[in-house]
Order: sequence, then structure tokens, then C-alpha cells
Amino acid sequence: MNHGGAKAQSIDGEWLVLVGNPNVGKSVIFGALTGRYATVSNYPGTTVEVSRGTARIGGKKQGIIDSPGVNSLVPMSEDEKVTRDILLNENVGSVLQVMDSKNLRRSLLITLQLVEMGLPITLALNMYDEAGERGISVDIESLSKTLGLNVVPTIATQRWNLDKLSDAFHHRSKPNSVIKYPEFIEDGIRRIEALLPSARISARSIAIMLLSGDPTLSGWVEKNIPGKAADIEDIRSGVQTRFKEPVGYIINRVRLKTVDAIVSDVVSQEKLGKSKLSTVIGSLSMHPVWGVPILLAVLFLMYEFVGVLGAGVSVDFFETTIFEGFVNPWAERVVGYVFPSGLIHDLIVGQYGIVTMAFTYAIAIILPIVGFFFIFFSFLEDSGYLPRLAVMVDRIFKLMGLNGKAVLPMVLGLGCDTMATMTTRILETKKERIIVTLLLALGVPCSAQLGVILGMLGAVSLSATLWWAGVVIGVMFIVGLLASKVLPGEASDFILEIPPMRMPQISNIVLKTLVRVEWYLKEAVPLFILGTLFLFTLDKTHALKYLEAAGSPIIVNFLNLPVESTQAFIVGFLRRDYGAAGLFALQKNGLLTPVQTVVSLVTMTLFVPCIANLLMMIKERGLKAALLMTLFIFPFAVLVGGVLNFIFKILSITL
Amino acid sequence: MIKDKGVEEVLEFIWSQREQGSNSVRELLAIEEVAEEADMETLRRMAGNNLIKMDGDTVVLSLDGEKLAEAAIRRHRLAERLLTEVLSLDAESIEKNACSFEHTLSHEVTDSICTLLGHPPTCPHGLPIPKGDCCRKTGGELKPIVQQLSALDVGDTGRIAFIVSNIHSRLDKLGSLGIVPGSSVRVHQKRPAFVIQIGETTLALDPEIIKEIYVKKVF
Repeated sequence: MNHGGAKAQSIDGEWLVLVGNPNVGKSVIFGALTGRYATVSNYPGTTVEVSRGTARIGGKKQGIIDSPGVNSLVPMSEDEKVTRDILLNENVGSVLQVMDSKNLRRSLLITLQLVEMGLPITLALNMYDEAGERGISVDIESLSKTLGLNVVPTIATQRWNLDKLSDAFHHRSKPNSVIKYPEFIEDGIRRIEALLPSARISARSIAIMLLSGDPTLSGWVEKNIPGKAADIEDIRSGVQTRFKEPVGYIINRVRLKTVDAIVSDVVSQEKLGKSKLSTVIGSLSMHPVWGVPILLAVLFLMYEFVGVLGAGVSVDFFETTIFEGFVNPWAERVVGYVFPSGLIHDLIVGQYGIVTMAFTYAIAIILPIVGFFFIFFSFLEDSGYLPRLAVMVDRIFKLMGLNGKAVLPMVLGLGCDTMATMTTRILETKKERIIVTLLLALGVPCSAQLGVILGMLGAVSLSATLWWAGVVIGVMFIVGLLASKVLPGEASDFILEIPPMRMPQISNIVLKTLVRVEWYLKEAVPLFILGTLFLFTLDKTHALKYLEAAGSPIIVNFLNLPVESTQAFIVGFLRRDYGAAGLFALQKNGLLTPVQTVVSLVTMTLFVPCIANLLMMIKERGLKAALLMTLFIFPFAVLVGGVLNFIFKILSITL
Repeated sequence: MIKDKGVEEVLEFIWSQREQGSNSVRELLAIEEVAEEADMETLRRMAGNNLIKMDGDTVVLSLDGEKLAEAAIRRHRLAERLLTEVLSLDAESIEKNACSFEHTLSHEVTDSICTLLGHPPTCPHGLPIPKGDCCRKTGGELKPIVQQLSALDVGDTGRIAFIVSNIHSRLDKLGSLGIVPGSSVRVHQKRPAFVIQIGETTLALDPEIIKEIYVKKVF
């Protein structure tokens, strides 16, 4: 959701690239250096798209790129490929590798690959405090000497030592320590090297990647050395016949051996006694027994904080006190003074007026809810709970052809489905990305919609809430189950890093919430105005009556809802939360019975994805897939609503 | 004591018939594999060599026969385990090879395989594997054993001995996380998903992958 500034540019054309393992603090350092906010959370895969910014160093502008986290520069997923491609294709001046001080072994594995590339590197030993707390100390001088690199210990979240990183901008000396691989591999490297054109990074490093059998490089080969792919494959398979295990794996093991030698020289571990409270909470939250009550407690807190405090108390305050008591009468007076009546008067303050409807919905109803949700969600993100949730639900997700990792984009969808659709990049197979995109578009309500829904259900009863949640989750599960059977392809391995639990930093939560709220306002308010104008036009041309009449067989007979709810569904095409806000207003005016509330909410929850989400689906999955999904979702949502209504009627449930 | 392949086979089948609750000569000879190797005459000869005792339709192992049968069963079932878990052969070739293994393995090699596999109590079909000397040794005498990571208890640490995977991308991915032979891993929890610790990294992994990782337990 941070839109990488295309304007950011480096003056001398060379970029400083931040590289590192997932969840080591690249985005924090990026933010500190450039003053631009890149989303920071406590789980791997927060950054899925590249952020660019500029820092002013000694009066000179320097372009900086924040890259998605990687465990290897031989990519395993789309976000890892993004990082490799930056190093391969961009004009990289130097690299700042951000390392997790307590996990030097994994960080150094990347360092060695960067060294092979022949890029100038500076190392930031980040989270230096966490290493200390765990009794780990790093001999920085010795590390610096061994690698021939500049090493700076940092604590990014406290901005400690970040000023010393400015050296990284000027650092241009290249390290020259290289690993020797077994002779058969070295021979293969030399032979492939001979085929390669000169590139930004060393031919040796590209040769090693090709020898590892990196399939994501085939595009590069096609473009830079057309027709040589077969030769390279010949060399590669020639080398492979010498070994029992895959060549890539052997290369990796040689690197790890080198890493282990360095680690045993520079890292010393002191035994510590008691485990910290955060460690205990972290373990309990993914415990097979205790994890469940903790999950329920989290959900309950969310309901209380977002549903009751956000959607109830603060919406009441904004809507009744501020808007109905102050803004709307004031706007009516001002507008009435200039335009006593007529089209423009109605356009601004009429029944479908921009102030009385669009602004009231956007600012008074949705904004407080979104704000409260994002505060809560940011807290969850930064605490490190979400990956533990993935552990809890892994088995259930397996049934849908997914694995626990897929819970990350799904939960993110509760914030914003558009953002979450983009985050599906952390999933490894195409099949998984399609299923999660479909489920997001189908059934995961975004924060704005969820808040309104919780507010409405809270006003009815707990059983209404359970019916709604049960039906939506059940439907998603069944669709996921069927999709996993129908779609070709395979699920990927569940390998997920669990970060330590951390006490979230208030400053990051505030900043993140503000950035997201601002983004929400920019994206939603124009659509709200557009939707209101649309309704206004329909109303003035009396087309609304015809549409209501046309929709009434479905709305009134099939779903058994009041005819006025048609307009909520019409704007629901633009944004589901806008539609939900329309239902909210209906309920407040006493036009919806409890059963009608649940039926309309289930239908609206499953309703078509909003325009922004649709555009993101087209961008990530392609036009055809996005349209097919939407064509499936629309009638399906109405069908589920109708069936639910029928069930309620048959069982004479009144809630 | 005569020890030939056919006799060993028959002894094994008497053993496994007994596991199923039968000691009938008629039923024994009705088994296809037994019929290939032996007839009534063979059984009488074995009785003469004091390997089995026959009384009407019942057949039981003598003390000597019992020993031979136990050792043969042990070799056969250990071979099955080795071929299934470490070499990942398909069912048909496992049976074929296990049958030829059992007649050639020496006592020492059998015990080494048993140790390598972590003294498994049962064969892949769930039948008990008779214990050998190596299993009875206790405490300090027990050599370091290799077992599946999934067999460790929560809180145990193991040093990775080898990773058996046919999926290259999986090996690469594990490698980039530092999971290679020689690394030490600690089992943090087994349910609802497997979570291990390697250094300061905590990882959740599929049970399938965990089964492919063989470790030596570190005490």
C-alpha cells in the first residue's frame, strides 16, 4: 500500500539498494534514511513491492531502493525474484545489507552471494540489542576484517547508529574474498562465464546462478545471450552428472560451510537462564491447546475495539454529534443561502447529496471504523502474532489446497483486500495465488465493511453475528475446497519463519495507521462521491425507481429485503463498504429485521470486489482471471443470500 | 544345523503365521511362497533337524528354529524399513530386495542398520521387529542413532545427518534457511504444525518435510 514514488531519483543515476533476509528491518532503515514511510511490520513478507526514495547526504541527493526480503539470491518466490532482478538489472552503485545480528548465519549466506556479484557492500548489523538480550555477541572488528567490509552495528527502531550508515553511500571498494567450489563446479563456472556478456554484476555470480539451475533467469538469458540457453544447459547437466545431489544444493552447502567457519570465529553465545515473557507468550499463542483461547481472545478484543468502540461509540459521536448536529445543518444553511433550492442544492445537501451522503458515509461512518481497525491491526502485525496464527490454521488451510502461510494475505484482507491481493505474491505457486485472490474477492470483508457489519450485528444479537460469520466462513471454505480440486497445479511446502514476539512501538503504530488512513481517504472518498453522483443521477432521472422495480424480484422476493436496499447494492458495485454503509443507514431507520440484516450482510459480504480491488486483481492475475472471478462471485453472492433466507424461513428462525 | 534359503523362508512363515494366530501345517503349505520352497517332505526334514515340532496338523518352532526365525524376521523387516525410509523405493522393489537382503546380511550389519534407523519397533506394515543385541544395550553404550526429526520429542535437539528428499526446490529452500546436514535443530512443538528452532530462527514446517530430515539426537 505504499506507492513507491516514481519521482524519487538518484542524481548520479546510481542507486543504493537495501538487501537482506525477511523481517530484519530494511524498511525501518529505508524510512529513517529517506523520510519516506515504507510499511513496517513484524512478519516476513511485509514488503512485496519496491519502494524508492531519496536521501540527502552531504548536500548530495542519493536514490535508495528498499527491496523485498530474501533468503537466497536464487529466488524461490515472486518477491525474492524482484530483489534479484533489481541487483541484476538496475544501476546499482552500492548495497547496504541489513542483517539480523542474532541470525548471522543466514545473513552471511546472502553476504557471500553479494560478494560474488562484485558489488560494493556495507553491512548493517541490525537488532543489535536483541542479540545482546539473547547473550549473543559479535566480534565486529574481526567480521569486518574477514570479509573486508564495513560493518556497522545498528538498532534501526531506535535510530541508533543509523547516521554511521551514510558511509554506505560513498563506499565503493569491492571485497575480493571468494569461495572456492569443488573443481567440477569451478570448471562449469568458467565455461559458462565464457558465454556471458559483461553485466552490472560479475559474470562469475551469474554463471553460478545458472549452474544452480535457476529457472527464473531464462528470460535474462533469452534477452542477453539469445540462443545460448541450450549450451548453458549442456554445461549444467554435464556438471550435474558428477554429483548425486543437485548442483545448486552443493553450491549452497559450500557457502554454508564458509559461513559456519566465519560464524564460529566471530560469534560467541553465552548461555542465558530464564526465557523472557514475550517468548512464553509467543510459544503459548501457537500451542495446540492454549493457542485456541488466545485466538478467541484476539477475536473478542477485535470485536470490542473495532465493533463496539469504533463502530458504536465513535461512529455515534461522529455521525450524530458532529455531522447531524453540526456539519449537515451548517452545510444546508450555507448551501441554502446561495441556492435556496434546485439541482445544485440537492446535489450537495439533498437525500443523495455529496455532503449529506458521501461525506457522512465516508467520514462519519467508515473513517472511525477504519481508523480503529488499523490501530488494532497494526498492533497485531507488529507483535509477531500473525505468523503464529498461520501455524494454528495450517491444517485447515491444507484442505483448501493452501498452507498456513496463506493466512497472512487473508488477515491482511480484513484491512484492505486490494493491499492483500498484492501480498499474495508471498505465496509460491500460481494455484495458491489464484485461490487466495478468489477468496479475498469473494468473502473477506475489508476493515471498512467489517466495522460496519460488526456494528450492525452488534445491534442485533450474538447469534446473528455467529450466523453471519458461520455462513461466510463456511462458504469460503467450500469454495476454497472446490477451487483446490478444480484448479491444476500443486500446493507449496509450508515453510514459514516465526519472528520473535515484540512489544509494538507506539510510534510505528501511529505512523502506520496514519499512512493507511490517508491512503484510505485518497482511494475511497472519490469513489464515494462518484457513487453518490451516480445515485443522484439515477434519482433525478427517476431511473432509480425503475432499477428498484427491476431488482425487486431478486431483492424483495428472493432475498426478502426492503426495496430501498436496492440502492445499497447498486453502490456496492463501487465499494462493498459503501453498500454496507447504506445497509447500516437502513437498519438505523428500523427498515431491516434481524433476519433481513443477516441475509443482506451475508450477500453484501460476498458481493463483487470493489473497483480498486478489481484493478489489482487484473494487474496481479490478468484480465481474464479477474473477470471470471467477478462473474462467478456476483450471482453466487445473491444465491447464497437467497438460500440463507430460505433456510431461515423453513426453520422459522427469527434471531 | 542346516541353514539354507528355503528353510529360513519356511521358518519365517511359521513365525508370521503364528503372529496371525495360526499353527496349521495345511494353511502353511497353502501359502504360495511356501509351496514354492517346501513340501511335507521338507517339513519332516526340518523336524528331523530339530528346527520345528509337528503334531498332526500343528507345527511349532523349536528353540533352535525360534532363534533362526527371529533373526531372519528381524533382518527382513529392518531391510524393509531401510528400503522404505532411507532409499524411498516403491512397494514392489522393497519386497523383492528385502527378501534377498535378509539372506545375506551379517549380524553386525543388521545391528548397524537397526542403529542407523533408531531401533525401529515395527516394520512399515506395522508388524513388530524382534529386538537385537544393539537394542538391549542401554545408557552410555547406546551409539548415537539416526532417526526422523519427527520422532524427536518436544524440546529435544538433533544434529542433521541427512535429508532425504526427491524435490530439488525443497532442498534449496531448506538450504537457504540453513537446514543442511551438520546443523542442529531443536523441536519446539509438533502440533498443530511442526515448529523447529535453528539458531535464533524459528520455523514452521510441513510434517512431510520433517519426515525427510534425519537427525542424530544430541543429549
